[in-house]
Amino acid sequence: MRLLIAEDDPELRRQLREALEAAHYAVDCAPDGEEAAFLGETEPYDAVVLDLGLPRRDGLSVLRGWRGQGRTMPVLILTARGTWQEKVEGMDAGADDYLAKPFRMEELLARLRALIRRAGGQAAAELTCGPVSLDTRTGRVSVSGRPVTLTAHELRVLSYLMHHRGRVVSRTELTEHVYAQDFDRDSNTIEVFIGRLRRKLGVDVIHTERGLGYRLDAAP
Amino acid sequence: MIRRGSLGLRLLGLAALWVVLALVGAGIALTDLFRNHVEAELSRHMELHLDEVTAALARQPDGTLAPVRALTDPRFNRPLSGLYWQVSDGGEALARSRSLWDQSLPMAGPVADDGAVHRRGVATGPDGARLLVWERRVHLPDGGAPLDVAVASQGGSVEAATGSFARALALSLGILALGLLAAAVAQVRLGLVPLDRLRQALGEMRAGRVARVVGAFPSEVQPLVDDLNQVLDDNAEMVERARTQAGNLAHALKTPLAVITNSVAALGNADSARVIAAETDRMRSQIDRHLTRARAAAMARGAGLRTPIGPLVAGLARTIARLHPDRPLDIRVSGDDALLFRGEGQDLQEMVGNLMENAAKWCAGSIRVTLSAAGEKALSITVADDGPGIPDDRRDTVLARGIRLDEAMPGSGLGLAIVDDLARLYGGGLELGQDEALGGLAARLVLPRA
Repeated sequence: MRLLIAEDDPELRRQLREALEAAHYAVDCAPDGEEAAFLGETEPYDAVVLDLGLPRRDGLSVLRGWRGQGRTMPVLILTARGTWQEKVEGMDAGADDYLAKPFRMEELLARLRALIRRAGGQAAAELTCGPVSLDTRTGRVSVSGRPVTLTAHELRVLSYLMHHRGRVVSRTELTEHVYAQDFDRDSNTIEVFIGRLRRKLGVDVIHTERGLGYRLDAAP
Repeated sequence: MIRRGSLGLRLLGLAALWVVLALVGAGIALTDLFRNHVEAELSRHMELHLDEVTAALARQPDGTLAPVRALTDPRFNRPLSGLYWQVSDGGEALARSRSLWDQSLPMAGPVADDGAVHRRGVATGPDGARLLVWERRVHLPDGGAPLDVAVASQGGSVEAATGSFARALALSLGILALGLLAAAVAQVRLGLVPLDRLRQALGEMRAGRVARVVGAFPSEVQPLVDDLNQVLDDNAEMVERARTQAGNLAHALKTPLAVITNSVAALGNADSARVIAAETDRMRSQIDRHLTRARAAAMARGAGLRTPIGPLVAGLARTIARLHPDRPLDIRVSGDDALLFRGEGQDLQEMVGNLMENAAKWCAGSIRVTLSAAGEKALSITVADDGPGIPDDRRDTVLARGIRLDEAMPGSGLGLAIVDDLARLYGGGLELGQDEALGGLAARLVLPRA
């Protein structure tokens, strides 16, 4: 799962990045509205944390720009502007959630999880596929109740596949959603992660669709 | 339109004063002129009579004097007719008109022998009436002693003519005065129309239908209107600037607060961490509350605004439903959504938004918002839910916290207290009760209506 953080305060940006990376997300950061708009237009994020009071370009206009171009990723507005007028404006501009500063990091994480789950059409906080289950709240993976330890990248790959069960996910798509923008990407490493995942899970839930990508069964 | 101490009354009073003064003066002058004219005419006639009497006089063979020709005016022969003549030698009446009957005109002594007609003011006639007398000393051609010839007329005729003239004049001048006063009323009304328009424009502004005084006014009033508009603009700009600054302050404070909150969370569960967390929470709610109040106070006293409540409540319903996607909420808005709130939209949103958010937090799934008029000057917005409600004895506590800021509990947020605060700033109020249909809390907000 890959997120964009658009926040101009460097300290808060650092805290957000740390907290979100600790929650196993790949994170890109934009310090101003122009860069946020550009990244949101060109990169496939699973969710965006958007400050409204951004320098160079206002957050609302960035959001309207994305929605105008048909970008549908979930957007959580995180702002110091907490009046209802601004909430209505933000939600009407196409936001999916609204959190006023100051906030508790746990609450932000919970809301982001919910946004990403709903965007993938999943209702429960715990995703399951056969014997494999993933708790999106804690990032814990277990197979038939037995905990499995995964690295951050492995977890992102599995998480993305579980969020999009029943659909073929290409290697490129996986790469885009697993790595942050400044990471040196190599789609071959995806095959390595898939191999390791299959080994660690010990069950054959990840199917390879030759020439297309990977797929998890839709039925739990 | 014309009230005590009004410009209109002042102008009308002055107009009435000068109309009355001018017309009374004109009446007096005209009456005087008329009297002079009548008197002059009478004098001319009387001199003619005097000439005629003089010319007709001749000494009779018996030495007495008598007119040798009949006089043209028959009144000389009618007793006590009011027109008399008399000839004397300066003391004794030698001859007199038949009209004098057995009386004689009172003599005032010999007339100056200068051949001129002398008018003697007043004498008493045979019937006791006031007389005007014209007399002249003449020398008859027979060379006798000089004679004083006098003719007299009743003075009352002049008074009567003047009196009837004065009455007719007074009537027409009175009518003229009424006409002039009516014209003055019309003039004052028409002249003050721009002031009336100004008053209406001010009323419009006060009622909040317009932000400035609109319209063009005469050059005497326009500077005042321009100044007023300037003050209003300055005020609006000042309020706007204050709001922007309040917003900037909120932004400037809340982001660091967010950083502190998150840093503290990293410290774990130590006592100091809990204290800092509680205090930052408190700071947040204080910032929100005071900024909201400051802004609302600036707006509530500013020039009247009016905000349609329907669209705002609809927007809030939409937003609150979207903010709770995991719990499908049945939010229904009913009532008169064309009502206008006399105040700022943002404040209305703050009040209703908090009430609806509170309802969304506690409800089992249903929220009913009812908009209705509460008389001519107020409107009410009731937000009801099907949650557990607030017990009777605790409702006051919930709102009382709003009055005493120092008791605001950490983490209590703004909620109902700020709604009550805002409503009071607008001269309205918040009542909490139990909703009969849904069973949960019914929060009734009463606000001024535009």
